[in-house]
Amino acid sequence: MSIKLGSSELAKYPFLQEASDYIQETKFDFAEFDRPEMIHIINRAVEKLENELKGKIYSNLDEYEIEIMTFLVSLLLIKSIGLEEVSKKCSLFEAMRVERFLSTDLSVERSSQKKKLLVQKIFQDLFDINIDVDSTSSICKLSVPDYLLRASKMYEQEWKLINRSVKDGYVYLDTDEAVRLIRNELSNLIYTRVKNMKVYEVPILIKSKADELRKKYSGRYVYRNQFKILEYPPCIKHAMEIINKGENLPHSARFMLATYMLAIGKTEEEVIEIFKNSPDYNEKITRYQVEHLAGKKGSHIKYSVPSCDRLRSEDLCFAVKECENLINPIQFGRRKLT
Amino acid sequence: MNQIEYTNENIKFLKDIFRKYYFENKYFPYLYSIEKREFGYRKFDSLVVRHLSFKNIGELVVELVRNVPLDVYYSNAYYGFPSNPINEKQWEGADLIFDIDIKDLNIPCFHEHTYYICNLCGFVNSEQKLCVNCNKGKTYDISIPCKRCFTAIKKEAAKLLEFLRSDLGIEEKFIEVFFSGNAGFHFHVNDPGMRNLDSNSRSSVTDYIIGNGFMCESIGVRKYRNGFMIKLPKSGIMNGWRKKIASSFGINQKSELKLKHLVEASGGYDGFRNEINRITKKFGVHIDSQVTNDIHRVFRLPGSINGKSGLTKTKCDDLESFNPNNDACMLDDSEVYINLKTKLKINLKNNNFKLDNVLEKVPSYVAVYLVCKGLATISKNQ
Repeated sequence: MSIKLGSSELAKYPFLQEASDYIQETKFDFAEFDRPEMIHIINRAVEKLENELKGKIYSNLDEYEIEIMTFLVSLLLIKSIGLEEVSKKCSLFEAMRVERFLSTDLSVERSSQKKKLLVQKIFQDLFDINIDVDSTSSICKLSVPDYLLRASKMYEQEWKLINRSVKDGYVYLDTDEAVRLIRNELSNLIYTRVKNMKVYEVPILIKSKADELRKKYSGRYVYRNQFKILEYPPCIKHAMEIINKGENLPHSARFMLATYMLAIGKTEEEVIEIFKNSPDYNEKITRYQVEHLAGKKGSHIKYSVPSCDRLRSEDLCFAVKECENLINPIQFGRRKLT
Repeated sequence: MNQIEYTNENIKFLKDIFRKYYFENKYFPYLYSIEKREFGYRKFDSLVVRHLSFKNIGELVVELVRNVPLDVYYSNAYYGFPSNPINEKQWEGADLIFDIDIKDLNIPCFHEHTYYICNLCGFVNSEQKLCVNCNKGKTYDISIPCKRCFTAIKKEAAKLLEFLRSDLGIEEKFIEVFFSGNAGFHFHVNDPGMRNLDSNSRSSVTDYIIGNGFMCESIGVRKYRNGFMIKLPKSGIMNGWRKKIASSFGINQKSELKLKHLVEASGGYDGFRNEINRITKKFGVHIDSQVTNDIHRVFRLPGSINGKSGLTKTKCDDLESFNPNNDACMLDDSEVYINLKTKLKINLKNNNFKLDNVLEKVPSYVAVYLVCKGLATISKNQ
C-alpha cells in the first residue's frame, strides 16, 4: 500500500510539488483573484504577511485549498511589494511556520510510514538530506557532512559538532533540532521562489494591497547605523600588547588585528603603523598585505574580521564577561552614533 | 622559514642531491587527480612560486628535475582551473587534512634538543635571546626530534585516528597518514563525502577533535536563575564527546541525580564547566586548526623532500613501527665533509652519529639533514 500526503499536510506544506500539482489540476487562472469571493483569501494573505513583518509566526491553519491559495497570494504580494527586506523577512517567518508544523508532525505522527514520507518529501526531495527518523524515539539521524554544511551557518555554540551526539559518522538530533537545521534552506527556498516568479499581470486586487503594504513598510528597514568603538575587545588588546612588547604575532593574529582595525575605520597607513613594532617588520610586505586585506590588491576582496568562533578555535580568544553572546569581535564595546 | 646558509657549496650540494632524488623517484603514488591540483614550490632563495598546474606526473617530474625546488607543495583543493588566480580557480572541493606537530605537544625533552640560530651570523646559541656571537641578530629555533618526541606524537596521531574512524565514521581506505618529513604527521582524508565542506564546517570538525567549546548544556547541565538545573538532552549523552565526558564522571542517561550531586560538588555551574574543560583537554588532540580549516592551502607533496630536514614526506602504514629517521631518510650515502656549528648526536638510517669536531666526514643524508637544519655547512675542501 502506498502512502500519500493528505490534505492536512498540503495545508501545512504548501510549497511542496503536490500543492503546485493541485493548482495545475484545477486549471486555476490568476485573473480569478479579481473575483469578489477571493477577497477572503487575499485578506488572509495580507494578515499573514503583516504578522510576519511584525516578527510573529502566523499559526492559523485552514482547509488545504485555502492554505494553498493563501500561500500563492502571499508570494504574489511579496513579489509585487518588491522590497528585498520584506521578501527576506516573510520567507524566514514562513520557514518558521513550517518548522513549527513539521516538528510536531515528526514527533506526534503515529504512522512511521507517514513520518518517512514527510522526511522524504521535505528533507530529501527538497534539500537532498538523507535523514532517518526512529519510529519510537523520533530521534533523527543524518550524516556528519550533511549536518555540518547546515550547522555551520548557525552562530550559536550549541550547533558546533562537539555539542552534538555523534557516532560512526552520524549526528543524532531530536525532531525540533532536525527541523531547525533546515530553517535557512526553507527560507531560501521560499525567497528563491518569489525571486524567480514571472508574473506578467498582477491581479488588480493583489496589486492594490501590495501598493498599500509597500507604502507602509518601505523605509522601515533602513537600519544600518554608524557605530563608534569605545573599547577594543580583549582579543585585539592582547594582540596589541604582544606587538607593543616587540614580540612576533602568529599570522592568524596579524590577520585578525589588521581586518579589525580596517573594519573600525582605520586607514591603511594607521594599520601599517601598528605593525612597525614587530621584530620581523618589513614595510613592503606589510603594506601589500594590509592593502590586500582592504581589498585594494590581489583578489580585490575586502576581508572580514574572523568570527569569535574562529578565534576561539585558533586560540586567539581571551573572552571576558562582556564578550558573552557576541559572534564577532567587531560587536564589542561599540555604541550607536546618534 | 629557510634555515639553510646560502653558500655556493651548500646550494650546489643540495640541488645535486635533490635533483638525483626526483629523477630516481618519479612516481608520487599518493598524488590523485593531479590535473585538478594547484602546485607550488619554494626555491632555495626562499622565493615561492604558486599557481602551477600539471596534466600528469611526467610534467611534474620534469619541472622538479629542471628547477630543483627546496620544498614542493600541492593544493588540498580540486580546481576547475588550478593555474588561474585564486578567485578564478573554480573550487570543486578539498581533501580534509590534519596536521600534528611535535612542537605543539609541550614535550619536556623538546628544549634539550632545540638549537637557537642567529638570523644574521648563523651562530648556534644555547638559548633564545640576542645572539651572543654578533650581539645584533635575533635567534630562531630548530629542533632535532628524539625518540621520546616521536613516541609522544605517535600517541597523539593514534588519538586522531580514533576520532576520524569512530566518531566521524571515515572509512580506513580514505585515510592516509604521512610523516611530514620533519617534526609532524599529516592525515589526508580524501573521503568524497567530506570534500565539499566549507571552511566553517571544517572549523567545527577541528573544534570537535581539539575538544574546543563543549557546553555543560550538552550533557544536561543548564544555567538556571542563580544556579543550575539538570535536563538531559533527548538525543542522549552516550555518543561522541558527551559519552567521553559522561564516562569520565561515571554517569549515564539515567544518572540525573548523580549528575546534580556532581555539579554541586564542583561548586555549581562554573565549577562544573572547569571540570569539563579539564576533561576535554585530556581527550582532545593537538592539531593545527588553521591547517584543516583552510580550503585553499597548499601542502607538502607526499614523496617530496622536506627542505627543513632532507627527509621525505612518507606514507606511514603502521604508526607503531614507523621510524621517521630511518623510513623517511631516502638520500644518498656517499661521503662528504661538513663544517659543524655545534657538537651533536643524531640517529639516521639506524646509524648513530656522534659529531664532536668542526670538520666531519659524513654520509650525504647526514650532511643534507644538518645543512637543511642550519647546523652545518658543506666544507669548501672536499
